[in-house]
Amino acid sequence: MTTVKPILLAEDNPRDAELALAAMEEHHIADKVVVCHDGAEALDYLYCRGAFATRQQGNPVVVFLDLKMPKIDGLEVLRTIKNDMNLKPIPVVMLTSSREERDLAQSYALGANAYVVKPVEFHQFIKAVKELGVFWGVINEPPPESSRSLPTKDL
Amino acid sequence: MEWFTHWSIERRVLAGFGLVFAGIVVISAISYRNTTVLIENSRLDTKSHELVQLLDAVGEALGAAESGHRRYLVTGDESYLTSYRAVTEKMPEYLRYLRGLTSEGPEQQARVATLEQLIASQLGAEAGAIIQREKHGYEAVRHLALSGAAKNELEGIHRLMTELDSAEQRALHARVAQSAESTRNTIALLGLGALLQLVLLASVYFLIHHDVTERRRVATEWQSRGELLQAANKELEAFSYSVSHDLRAPLRHIDGYAALLSKAAGEALNDKARRYLQTISDSARQMGQLIDDLLVFSRMGRQDMLRTTVNLDQLVKTVLHDLRLDLQGRTISWTMHPLPNISGDPVMLRQVFVNLISNALKFTATRPETKIEIGATKRNPGEVEIFVRDNGVGFDMQYVDKLFGVFQRLHRSDEFEGTGIGLANVRRIIHRHGGRTWAEGAPDQGATFYFSLPLARSLR
Repeated sequence: MTTVKPILLAEDNPRDAELALAAMEEHHIADKVVVCHDGAEALDYLYCRGAFATRQQGNPVVVFLDLKMPKIDGLEVLRTIKNDMNLKPIPVVMLTSSREERDLAQSYALGANAYVVKPVEFHQFIKAVKELGVFWGVINEPPPESSRSLPTKDL
Repeated sequence: MEWFTHWSIERRVLAGFGLVFAGIVVISAISYRNTTVLIENSRLDTKSHELVQLLDAVGEALGAAESGHRRYLVTGDESYLTSYRAVTEKMPEYLRYLRGLTSEGPEQQARVATLEQLIASQLGAEAGAIIQREKHGYEAVRHLALSGAAKNELEGIHRLMTELDSAEQRALHARVAQSAESTRNTIALLGLGALLQLVLLASVYFLIHHDVTERRRVATEWQSRGELLQAANKELEAFSYSVSHDLRAPLRHIDGYAALLSKAAGEALNDKARRYLQTISDSARQMGQLIDDLLVFSRMGRQDMLRTTVNLDQLVKTVLHDLRLDLQGRTISWTMHPLPNISGDPVMLRQVFVNLISNALKFTATRPETKIEIGATKRNPGEVEIFVRDNGVGFDMQYVDKLFGVFQRLHRSDEFEGTGIGLANVRRIIHRHGGRTWAEGAPDQGATFYFSLPLARSLR
């Protein structure tokens, strides 16, 4: 039996999270999505601490990061990920409303793998999220230490 | 004085200094002239004093000669002749000196000439008497010894010398009066001049002081305004960032949940309800577009400008390539005139052409054949005017001022879509390049949009 590595979605707005999940549902990848509601929670997940202390080990296949989040914002989370030898290989996609140049520039400078502006139009939003989920969760070959299929310990 | 108030500060200060300078020149000239007179008078005075002294000396010498020769005539004592000769030997010297001193006054000169003759004849007579006394003894000159050898000449000489003396004294007095007058005039002139200069310099100082104070005040004002502007700009930046991020989220939710609702309710909804949902989605999308356009508009105002040489021909070509989807199914006759290379921000200028050509395409959509002409004219030196002309629905010139305003539209949104920000963007970009925008048109006669760009001027 194999388990599929999760997709981590850090999104403080529950409606955006719900819409994203609705979009991924259409491609049956919603059940793989772990939603964190701020940057601190996302880091807790990545470092398996706090509420996620008991989760199954391993990195997510991709992290979708909102920029503007309470406590620790998206850029800070991105910086932490890219400065950590173990987390560094995880692809990080910035998923945000901001089209501001400095956000784009900062994100790429910190090592973001992609930057996607959430479209206002729902159909386009669905399309974007779906394509992202499919590309990063299915098509893209993740780095070795976070490969999609791993034999479970209790085989 | 009205002309004066119209003068610039530089001109006024220059005029003030000019007057001061002219005053100094005039005063200096008059002072110089007066001082020259004083010096000349003082020189003449010295001469006069010398003359008076010399006359005394001559008088004394003649007196000594006369008494000397008479004593000899009476006594025959040779020792009297020694002093007599000493005096007569000096006489030519005295006379030469006298001539020199009176060389500048013809009247005195004439008197001196007469005096010389008289002295010569007196001395001659005395010398004759001495010779007679030597040859013929006392008796021969007895009559002369009592009265002197040249009594008549002596009187003439005394009269002449008095005349000479008094004439010189008169001239001296006249000169003293003249010098005093001249000195008084000079002092008065210097005093008045100094006063005038002071007044003029004070006025100039006041002018400059006023100007400098005014300039300083304006500079301070500008500085504080600049600081305010900078603060306002920062605030605006934070605001537009916030708009960009936060305002779009609820719109996305409106559209998203409307779509989810439509999907969830599915068949349960009737056509009316479906149309309502559609309207909700459309409105959300429209607002999203408005926000995006506003953000672009705001960015065009804040963004740092690049400055490179832009090939406008090439730029228009790429714009037409980008708009090719809008051109499909349209019959368009393009008239493209060569455009110059200009200095500016290529991304911003591209936006200008995108907006103008899109507008031209939009407002000619109802025409069977679209005609669009793009060209440049050089009416004024130092700038180039570029125009985009179409044969579309045009506009009424009475609304021309509204064309370039933000969210100003001259058509209903069901006629021609759009948010009304395109031309506002054009104007903002062209203004930042130091140019102008304007338009000409008539209802149903098409429209021409112009903008000017400076050819070689520093960009703002």
